[in-house]
Amino acid sequence: MQATVGDRIDVRGHHIGDPDRGCEVLEVRGKDGGPPSLVGWEDSGHTALFFPGPDAMVQHFEHTA
Amino acid sequence: MRVIDAVRRSAVGVGPACTISEAAQIMNDAGVGALAVIAENRVVGIVTDRDLVRRALARRLPPDSRVDGVMTTEVTTVGAEADVHSVYGLFRTHGVRRLPVMRNDQFVGMITIDDLLIDLAADLADLARPITAEVLFSHRDSAVPATTASS
Repeated sequence: MQATVGDRIDVRGHHIGDPDRGCEVLEVRGKDGGPPSLVGWEDSGHTALFFPGPDAMVQHFEHTA
Repeated sequence: MRVIDAVRRSAVGVGPACTISEAAQIMNDAGVGALAVIAENRVVGIVTDRDLVRRALARRLPPDSRVDGVMTTEVTTVGAEADVHSVYGLFRTHGVRRLPVMRNDQFVGMITIDDLLIDLAADLADLARPITAEVLFSHRDSAVPATTASS
């Protein structure tokens, strides 16, 4: 999964009634945009390293300089 | 099937200096029950929601205690390209519910008992389907042709 700074990652809820979760890519630590990424979680703003699985989807945005 | 193909969820990692309060909030934000603790690109431990209850809350540790004080060290890992069946033995012998998945000494994900159960349930459903169909919709055998003894 390739990501760039500013992308949003959506993580599907795992159980019935579980909300989807979202975070923003703050840094890409892997090679060539690969994982892991340092992300900031929407709900609390806490940062963590994110290792994407099949439940995650990247939303790329156009980045302006 | 490779271990990495059986991993169904994203994994989340924090540094050893992360506080237990932050760890709990990150678990909640990410919807996971365990975090890999990573220092200098190496997994140095795992902290689970159970660790936070038993080693932190139950001992009344302050919320700003470091996560490396409650994490499990000496973590057993499994290779991303290993056969998924090797994980069954690791879960059995080590008595754990999650294992970090590694590729070239780098953490790439977490495999859980839940992941294996989902695969097993799908396999069982596949096996049960023809039997269920036979029980519920048994087709009648064609009648044996009537024959008469020739004399």
